[in-house]
Amino acid sequence: MNQNTSIPVISAKGLTRIYTLGDSEVIGISQIDLEIAAGELVVLKGNSGSGKSTLLSLLAGLDRPTGGELIVAEYDLNKTSDNQLTHFRRQVVGMVFQSFNLLPTLNVLENICLPALLAGKSAAESRLKAMELVQWLGLESRLNHLPAQLSGGEMQRNAIARALINDPAIVLADEPTGNLDSRNGQIVIDLLAELNQKWERTVLIATHSTLADEKASVRIGLKDGKITGAP
Amino acid sequence: MRNLLFFFRLFIWFSLRNMRKHMGRAATVFFGIALGAAVFTSVRLSVNASLDSFSKSMDLIAGRADHVLTRPGGYVPENLIAKLLNHPMIQNASPVLSTYTRVSQEASEPFLLIGFDPILDRPMRQWQIDDQRGQKGIVWLDLLKEPYTLILSKPLARQLMRTPGDTLYLEHARQKARFKILGMLEVSGLSLAEGGRIALTDISTFQEFTGLFGKVDRIDLKLKSFATARDLAEIQGLLPESIQLNPPTATRDSGQMMIRSYQLNLSILSFASLFVGMFLVYSLVALNAASRRHELAILRATGASADHVFFIFLAEGAFLGILGWVVAIPLGHFLIKYLLQGVSQTISTLFVRVQVETLGLSISEVIFSFAVTVGISILAAYQPAREAMQVPPKEALEISQLGMRPRKSAGQLAFAGLICILLVLPLSRLPALLDMPLPGYLAILLLFVGFAMLAPWTLQRISHSFSSILLKRVGIPAYLASRYVRDSGTRTAVSVGALITAVALFAALVIMIYSFRQTVEYWTYETIKGDLFLTSKMGEINRFRYPIPQQVIDNLQDYKSEVDILPNRRMFLTYGKFPYEFELLDMQGFMQYASFFWLKGDPQKIRPMLKRGEGVIVSEVFSNRTGLGVGDDFKTQIEESYVELPILGIVRDYRTQGGVVFYSMPHFDVRYHPTCWGGLRFFFKDRSQDLDLAVATLRNDIIDRMGDRVDMYSGKGLRSAVLRIFDETFAVTTVLLLIALVIAALGITTTLTVLVLERSRQLNTLFAVGASFRQIRTMIFWEAAFLVVIGELAGVICGFILSYLLVYVINRQSFGWTFLYGVNWTALGASIPLIIMTALAAALPAVKMVFRKPPATLLRER
Repeated sequence: MNQNTSIPVISAKGLTRIYTLGDSEVIGISQIDLEIAAGELVVLKGNSGSGKSTLLSLLAGLDRPTGGELIVAEYDLNKTSDNQLTHFRRQVVGMVFQSFNLLPTLNVLENICLPALLAGKSAAESRLKAMELVQWLGLESRLNHLPAQLSGGEMQRNAIARALINDPAIVLADEPTGNLDSRNGQIVIDLLAELNQKWERTVLIATHSTLADEKASVRIGLKDGKITGAP
Repeated sequence: MRNLLFFFRLFIWFSLRNMRKHMGRAATVFFGIALGAAVFTSVRLSVNASLDSFSKSMDLIAGRADHVLTRPGGYVPENLIAKLLNHPMIQNASPVLSTYTRVSQEASEPFLLIGFDPILDRPMRQWQIDDQRGQKGIVWLDLLKEPYTLILSKPLARQLMRTPGDTLYLEHARQKARFKILGMLEVSGLSLAEGGRIALTDISTFQEFTGLFGKVDRIDLKLKSFATARDLAEIQGLLPESIQLNPPTATRDSGQMMIRSYQLNLSILSFASLFVGMFLVYSLVALNAASRRHELAILRATGASADHVFFIFLAEGAFLGILGWVVAIPLGHFLIKYLLQGVSQTISTLFVRVQVETLGLSISEVIFSFAVTVGISILAAYQPAREAMQVPPKEALEISQLGMRPRKSAGQLAFAGLICILLVLPLSRLPALLDMPLPGYLAILLLFVGFAMLAPWTLQRISHSFSSILLKRVGIPAYLASRYVRDSGTRTAVSVGALITAVALFAALVIMIYSFRQTVEYWTYETIKGDLFLTSKMGEINRFRYPIPQQVIDNLQDYKSEVDILPNRRMFLTYGKFPYEFELLDMQGFMQYASFFWLKGDPQKIRPMLKRGEGVIVSEVFSNRTGLGVGDDFKTQIEESYVELPILGIVRDYRTQGGVVFYSMPHFDVRYHPTCWGGLRFFFKDRSQDLDLAVATLRNDIIDRMGDRVDMYSGKGLRSAVLRIFDETFAVTTVLLLIALVIAALGITTTLTVLVLERSRQLNTLFAVGASFRQIRTMIFWEAAFLVVIGELAGVICGFILSYLLVYVINRQSFGWTFLYGVNWTALGASIPLIIMTALAAALPAVKMVFRKPPATLLRER
């Protein structure tokens, strides 16, 4: 556990997300109560369809709950306007995806700078910050490469850098090792752990692999959209 | 057979189900293709209906004759009949006269009155009198016996609401006369000519009615089956030198040639809509091939051959073409009603008189339109199908698209495009082939292809050059849009290519029509000068063949103190196969008030020579069609005179059929033979008075003194009528053009929608990393702006080159004329924002689709 564990950065009460598919309803998550303190490294575990990604997308402000309360870094995500939500995604959270989701027409540096530029920062400022991240992640020699010219591990490091460019308090990773071999998977988990330890970010990793288990300060199990306790 | 069934099943599973899933996209393409096919088919069917009607009329009127005797510029003496009938090789000879006439004081359309000898004509033409009253034999005998009697075709009798026994007053150049209707023609043979608007009378009645005593228009000959070329030469030897002996098909052939030339021009213009539709098919099939790579790889991995994949995509193109063509049938049904009227009216105005009553559905035309529609759809699908068949099965094992594949060299494509554009100039300088501007059309095709091939490179270069400026000055959405457009490859380029084609056509036709109209306006102002024009009754429809009655001319002498009266005479002749007008003018008087629109030759030198009758001047069309120019000799036979005169200059002239030769009337009368007056122009000597009032007073005075015996038009009215006809002629063109633009707008909508859908995950990634809805919408708007602005600019440049080709190559080779090049900057300028706004509005549906699926779901999908 980190020193900041007493301050809750994520708080959910009765959190529910139900999807409507035609006439039927599919439960993504149901009645989840959760409190995560700042500086934790949380591993969210569960099988496919257990609700990990649904929970993560709600925490990232990509989706809105259909029931319950959700407060992340003092943002009540049930009540925020679209503009506030955009600001939340820019400044509060950084997201890392299983399939990287890098923009294919932008090179490594441009992909990293993108959220900063979207947030209205100057190109020079964005570039300066991006270069720090590039050095940390070992991507200096790949700055002008397009995603198609990178390996899977490099793409995921590129995605991590992009997630960090605006200094978010929370980093959310959805199956970050899912498309990587075990060596690259371990590198990514180590980086996320370093992020948590050295840079004091709250990190949530949704995964069904065991690579992150030993790095976790909190482990949460999910099954059929409900928390089952530590796995 | 089993393989074929399997292929169909595979096509249904793989392609049709996917199309059903994306019904909106497919429907847009169907509609685009259908619109193109409907326009193409309707135009061809309309012109064909006019062509058929004309050919049928000419054939029915020519009957079984195998040769025709005519006298250029005049009439054939009737007494030749006896000489001809005595020749052992002539089986039959029938004299014929015809004219357009009208029922007096009834607002009815003119109809064709044929004067013939019912006995001599019997073996020559098929005509049957309706025997409702059992008096078949008597009716045609009565026609011979009773003067001023006629037989009407049934449709005409119905339109005039007359029955046998009724009378009617017909008006003509010489007089108005009362005719008695003896009977009606059965609906077969000759009565079907002119769309059924026909009446027959005895030749002597006709001659008395028109004043052509002892004269006939032509004598139709039927030779014995064993007659040889030597016999024909012997017959020709019997005839005076001024009489020509030709096959009856000569007139029909020259008329058909002109209609076919018009058909080709209109077909190519209407093909433009189909050509733009071809981009739509390419766009959809290419999208399916690109966005379904993973599925294709799975298909290949599970045993489908590369050929299977190739033919599936080719079949997709064919399916779009077939369904588009089927949808075109109801669309064409509506379109043809408008086009049939417009096309037949234009043909009647420009070339030959046609009466289209019904639309015949030509099987060959239907098959042709089907083949062209499906053919171009398959052609459009060919390249994406080739790309799809190259997807390796191993891609099925790879994880989702890791990024954009390395792009193909746009530079190579641009180089090929540049070569195409460079070939345009030499091709456009080649002469017409088979009397058609085929090299010119090929040059236009290469121009479109060249510009379309330059599109990817242009998009890359422009968006690359602007991206950093956009980032600094406009913001990240514009920057991202420019980067996407730069790297989007051929797909966006195809849409831009379609837009270039449509805009180029629009710009070129706006320029061409404007240049043409300005030139015609100037020509009417300079050449069709005169305060009042007077012709014999129904002079125009009868091509001014009938002289103004002498009594009228005598009466008009009383006005000489007030007005200058300039006579003219127009004769319709042929030079080889090319029909033209020989116009005699009072050059001295003409040049006092009006002038020619000079193209070649020094007017200062030529004017006095023309006044002295030292030579002729010819129109640009005559010069281009015959190859005769300044310094050459113009030679022709006119009645009994052989005319040989030097060509002094070339002038612009845009009258019906275009070709015209001008000569001084007084000198013709002295040097060759006296001619009668076919028309008159009046110029008021006092130019300071209220000319409109003076014209109206003069007109009323002539009517008061001479009654309704002549046709009169005010100069102002005539000039505005010329421009009205011009505008009506180009109405069809404008409609075709607007349809091409609609199809291009559909292309932009489809492309943007497709590009947005294809990038849903990228757009949602942007959303996830902090882009607001507004930023994403702005980005898509900028993408649309890039495509539209580049398409518009390139289209306008292409349009300027195309307008030069249309004015100086296609028009010259198709119709023989060119015009003064002029650009209507106002129309062109006003159209640019209009097109941009339309295309950008087309992007709005794409923006709406971006967030239809939850971002979280999309970001998880592989």
